[in-house]
Amino acid sequence: MNLRQFTLNRKLALLAVALGTLALLAQPHRGPFVKLDSRELAAVVEAEVDHVTAPELAAWIVEGRADYRLIDLRTAEEYAAYHIPTAENVPLTGLADYPLLRNEKIVLYSVGGIHSAQAWMLLRAQGYEAVYFVLGGFDAWQDEVLFPTLPADADAQARAQFERAAQVAKFFGGEARIGVAPEAGQAAAATAPAVASELPKLTAPPPMPGPATPVAKKKKKEGC
Amino acid sequence: MNPRPDTPYLNPYLAGIGLGLVLLASFVIMGRGLGASGAFSSTVAWLTNLVAPAHAQANEYLGEYVGDGSTHPLKAWLVFEVIGVAAGALLSGILAGRARLAVEKGPRVTTAIRLACAFAGGMLMAFGAHLARGCTSGQALTGGALLNVGSWAFMLMVFVGGYAVAWFFRWQWR
Amino acid sequence: MMTPLYKYGFFGEEFSLLVAFALGLGFGFFLERAGFGSARKLAAQFYLYDMSVFKVMFSAIVTAMLGVTYLGWIGVLDLDLVYLVPTHLGPQVVGGLVLGVGFVVGGYCPGTSVAALATGRIDAMIYALGIFAGTFAYAEVYPAIKGFVNANPMGQVTLPEVFGLPWGLLVFAVVLIAVVGFWGATKIERWVGSRS
Repeated sequence: MNLRQFTLNRKLALLAVALGTLALLAQPHRGPFVKLDSRELAAVVEAEVDHVTAPELAAWIVEGRADYRLIDLRTAEEYAAYHIPTAENVPLTGLADYPLLRNEKIVLYSVGGIHSAQAWMLLRAQGYEAVYFVLGGFDAWQDEVLFPTLPADADAQARAQFERAAQVAKFFGGEARIGVAPEAGQAAAATAPAVASELPKLTAPPPMPGPATPVAKKKKKEGC
Repeated sequence: MNPRPDTPYLNPYLAGIGLGLVLLASFVIMGRGLGASGAFSSTVAWLTNLVAPAHAQANEYLGEYVGDGSTHPLKAWLVFEVIGVAAGALLSGILAGRARLAVEKGPRVTTAIRLACAFAGGMLMAFGAHLARGCTSGQALTGGALLNVGSWAFMLMVFVGGYAVAWFFRWQWR
Repeated sequence: MMTPLYKYGFFGEEFSLLVAFALGLGFGFFLERAGFGSARKLAAQFYLYDMSVFKVMFSAIVTAMLGVTYLGWIGVLDLDLVYLVPTHLGPQVVGGLVLGVGFVVGGYCPGTSVAALATGRIDAMIYALGIFAGTFAYAEVYPAIKGFVNANPMGQVTLPEVFGLPWGLLVFAVVLIAVVGFWGATKIERWVGSRS
């Protein structure tokens, strides 16, 4: 080894030790802390591009689209009783660690929509861009997709739309209802379906593709 | 025939820094490190799937590399990476005048025995790498840089294992 | 935080294969530059007269480690998104031992064998065939050894987490160990060289 190389190695060693010493202060992991662009998020909310409606989601499922991840934020029991087809069950606290790619389209729903809106905020803060929650949550899915109700005083256009909604409801194992006039408030409440007993069983689900990146039996992607 | 390097090898620290920068690039671009043994698994899975597809897909280990049939087993990140390794090494070898058909062995051993040992070593290496979920590239380098517990344990044991048996195989190298 | 680029959706899977090839080019290039296309140089590590394997490996580790530390610190790299191979202590310890033996017997590791066979080393080609055979054998016995292979799962865990120490402290420690190790390795090389 000649002298120039010897000095080079010394310089490299010195550089390494210097960088290593400075690294004592380093905190490379972001941890749970996130940065929020409050203005941007407010704009997104106001432009109403933060959510999808239940019928829109239903249309995606019927079309057989596989470009989204549907996340069910409810409890495991609620999920087991009934969940929207293609949904994955992830509790709010597990969302941060759940394997979701930042370039995926993510749709969230909870019982009424509040938790899903909160989860929307959390995911946006972590850098996910294409995040949406289902407006009205699972309640809206029941009311608008599974058991769409046609008011008695509906016009022709509404009836036509209702026909389509009835087809979709049948696809998901629900059924369309012809409702009473809206003034009879108590009667309308009486005809509203009871929650658990009338939900369609998911044993023979409508034909649909699995989620975009299924968990089991897919080719090993990472690792060496 | 033992090749004499026409160009001296690069300073090991500089070579290491070069490797480290490539590894860093992999972290920053792909969010994963380098590797090698996985490419061999993909290839074996593909070959087995050609000859005996039912067996390959049913096998718990190979099945993961065959997948569900939607993509070709060889269309894997590591396979492309390893092809790149071959190309890069060839380029360096040609530039340095070190590329030639040869058998690397010590002066006291015959080519036949050396090749037999190479084959045996490869088989051992396969078991070691698959048990450990990686080899020196994937575990030691990648996991080492990320302070991965399993990788450091693995790396330590590689040196232990090698030094433990080195004396018994010195006839192959000296 | 804009990196890792792939995990932030900057490009898709097809392009990532090109990236793989490009990274492999760099990898193979430096492996051969270091002389790791030669089984004799690699095996020499275990006979103490050429400690290049240790020097190259740890220089690479230190470089990349400092790199992710600083890039993570300034917020350019999201270290949480970089894949960590899950730890299974038992099989990884045994795997390491077996790999070490294979290194001395065969003279290569999988990555260097590819570098060597690309530059024409016939023993590396046979070695690679051995890896194929060994992989197939492993797959055959896998159902029987599955329990051990998946033993001691610790998940994706780092040394700072397991020791409860700050990341920076471990980085500093590794750098010190490496630098002292390099000095020691050179001393050993000289001592062994002067004896023969």
